[in-house]
Amino acid sequence: MRINLVTPLGFVLLLISAQSIAVPTIQHWKTDNGASVYFVPTDGLPILDAQLVFDAGSARDANKNGVAALTSALLDQGAAGQSAQQIAEKLESVGAQMGVSTSRDFTSISYRSLTDNTALKTSWAVLNDVLNKPDFPDVDFNREKERTLLGIKRRQESPATLAQLALYREIYNNHPYANAIQGVEETVSVLKVGDLKQFYQQYYVAKNLTVVLVGGVTKEQAKMMVHELVGRLPAGEKASLLPEVSLQEEGKTIHQEYPSQQTHLMYSLPVLKQNDADYFPLYVGNHILGGSGFSSRIVKEIREERGLAYSAYSYFHPMRQKGPFLMGLQTRNEKVKEASTAVKQTLETFIQNGPTEEELTAAKKNIMGGFALKLDSNKKLLANVVGIVTSGVPLDYLNSYTQKVAAVTQEQITQAFQRRVIMSSMVMVTVGQAVDQEN
Amino acid sequence: MRKLSVAVFIVNIVYSLNSFASPEILPNMVHEKVLKNGLKILVKEDHRAPVMVSQIWYKVGASYEHDGITGLSHVLEHMMFQGTDNLEPGEFSKIIADNGGRENAFTGADYTAYFQTMEASRLEVSMKLEAERMQKLKLQEKEFVKELQVVMEERRMRTEDKPQGQTYEYFKALAYTSSPYRNPIIGWMQDLEDMKLVDLADWYKQWYSPNNATLVIVGSVEKEHVFALAEKYFGPIPAAVFKPIKKRIEVPQLGIRRSIVKQKAKVPYLLMGYKVPVLNSVDDDADVYALEVLSGILSGGNSARLASNLIRGSQVASSASAGYDMNARLPTLFLFDGSPVQGRSAKQLEEALLEQIKQLQTNLVEEKELNRIKAQVIASSVYEKDSNFYQGMQLGMLETVGVGWHKADEYVDKVKGVTAQQLRDVANKYLIEDHLTVVHMQPEETSNEN
Repeated sequence: MRINLVTPLGFVLLLISAQSIAVPTIQHWKTDNGASVYFVPTDGLPILDAQLVFDAGSARDANKNGVAALTSALLDQGAAGQSAQQIAEKLESVGAQMGVSTSRDFTSISYRSLTDNTALKTSWAVLNDVLNKPDFPDVDFNREKERTLLGIKRRQESPATLAQLALYREIYNNHPYANAIQGVEETVSVLKVGDLKQFYQQYYVAKNLTVVLVGGVTKEQAKMMVHELVGRLPAGEKASLLPEVSLQEEGKTIHQEYPSQQTHLMYSLPVLKQNDADYFPLYVGNHILGGSGFSSRIVKEIREERGLAYSAYSYFHPMRQKGPFLMGLQTRNEKVKEASTAVKQTLETFIQNGPTEEELTAAKKNIMGGFALKLDSNKKLLANVVGIVTSGVPLDYLNSYTQKVAAVTQEQITQAFQRRVIMSSMVMVTVGQAVDQEN
Repeated sequence: MRKLSVAVFIVNIVYSLNSFASPEILPNMVHEKVLKNGLKILVKEDHRAPVMVSQIWYKVGASYEHDGITGLSHVLEHMMFQGTDNLEPGEFSKIIADNGGRENAFTGADYTAYFQTMEASRLEVSMKLEAERMQKLKLQEKEFVKELQVVMEERRMRTEDKPQGQTYEYFKALAYTSSPYRNPIIGWMQDLEDMKLVDLADWYKQWYSPNNATLVIVGSVEKEHVFALAEKYFGPIPAAVFKPIKKRIEVPQLGIRRSIVKQKAKVPYLLMGYKVPVLNSVDDDADVYALEVLSGILSGGNSARLASNLIRGSQVASSASAGYDMNARLPTLFLFDGSPVQGRSAKQLEEALLEQIKQLQTNLVEEKELNRIKAQVIASSVYEKDSNFYQGMQLGMLETVGVGWHKADEYVDKVKGVTAQQLRDVANKYLIEDHLTVVHMQPEETSNEN
């Protein structure tokens, strides 16, 4: 391989061993009504995993913040005339599992079943009803709404949650990403069941749906099953593009007083869209900065050198529109000044000078040598395929993954960080008790 | 439920092409070898992916500690990354990372375990390093002082600033009298403050030896190769002489125990627990499996009773669940926890839970309901095979608590054998008021409203 020529000798072997890993081929087709389907057959276990991903995250809430999450929570609480109890009984009588989750970008229904005849037939029929014929019964709506409201209240028990909510509010300002996924009391308490039905009708449509299947069925079976599952969904319209995120001119420091022993600190700005050209330099760079546990600079500075925190980290979270770059930790209130100074200093140094050659080599060894671990179970395979197909990268993304990592240079990392991680625009949020600082 | 569409009929035919007749045909082979120095090695080959997980389990944890030294096992676990005779602090982690590995460790009441997940050809790297720190840990004051701060931060994060976490700590201390399970795994803050390096050195010397450990390897490995590597690296380590561990059996509980824990919280929270036996504490395990199924009847899924009757149904609970760890080393608690909905109290939730227990004591569970729990157990036993790590956990834990890994093979059949009559019997035998501990977490308004 050409790439080997420019790769330091030390990990040629690793490169080869990573290459020899069988990367699964993702099969793809579209249903007649416009849903995109992706399928990876696997051998060895009589399990089928599926994920149905709608472009229907909380960013689609508009002025009804919380509606996406509550809509998804109601799907299995009554469908095709069956009660929540009947749905759960049917599914669980064959040991199948179903779950629903909503993020800012997506709502996902995940499903797992054994592939024997009875289990698959029974559970797939449940999934079918839940997807196509949710009833949104009033009594279930009222109950789930109350439970959501209590969950919102309970957020006040967690300084970590409060910090994250405050951070998203600040860095996203007027963008839909600013809102809490579950909503806030004022918006959820006024939601009506009609709002959910309307949301369902608009967004739970074939053109807005991606189906991913991984497991022990044939392609023929998969095609038949998907047709049965989504064939009757209205084609509808794909959700429109979300508005772009605008970077704040000036950074901010926000403190929220909270009666905890620790202060939770987050330092962040929006940076990365899915399928971004800077992804690999930023990903490898962050691995060195704060993405690889004990090997990373931030853990060395905060935990190993100073004993300031149990967990200290940084990550890029690519989203439909610019997702956050985020550094975070939690430390006792008396030490927050020392910790925040160290976090900023660590980042500033990294942006200015980039990684050392030694650090870059180590990061590549870790990422490339651990490539096989990304794909060693059906669950992980599913997650990877979902990530690939919803972010719009090419389907052979995994085939060239290790080469792309190997090709990243010190200079690319430094430049990407200098261009993208603008410290003067970053927001620092602290939640905890303001007390006299220790040195 | 009978409204199956026409399409299902067609699909029905396609399904029968499936090559898997039944989940129970899956192989489940574990290979065991014990070295002369007492180290037990368990190997489970799984060649689905070119990876492996290596876990080493030590028979030591918080339940081996006594008052005044709580948290010692966990702090020692942290120190195991801070240097040996031949490795600088942090070097262990660096070598694993250089080899593409992921690693960490965890401490429980009954075990301390270390693991590496790596591409399968790297097995030797992990064995060499684990053998090194089994015998040559270098405990240094500078690293200790810093790591103790880290653990205190961990404690603040998990307990001091988590109302439900802290409530659970007080709950356990109330429920147990003489059992070591009364102490938190991470240790009381005062004990952490009083901890000395020499305490760790003693603890390490006492428990870290081949005859107190189990090495578990799951993945794309060949058993003879694993045994040979283990012999090479662990074989030369001498066995240690142990004093038998004190039994510290919990004294009988002679009446209900109640307490209130006030927290800076917003939502009330309830914890209830009944004293129950575990696999390791009984000769006849019938009751244990019945209790296991009973916890499934109560909260094994969305159709189970607590979700059905308390979250839906009467709508007294916003959340409610039951739990039981049959694999604990010592007799434990059959637990209930939950939060009432807005407008209902923890007391009302408690009454509703007691009513559910009363029904189990009075009426037989229907066959259909029982079968549903069994179906989930059977399916889960297949799903678990999707994770090397989980399979390793199961073997390592059973071996370490004293039950023995062979019990894993019996699990599904034993669960299948549980009858409705047995469920009613164990509900009457164990879920009795005199053996109950109840804690209500009361939200206390604070001045810092957000």
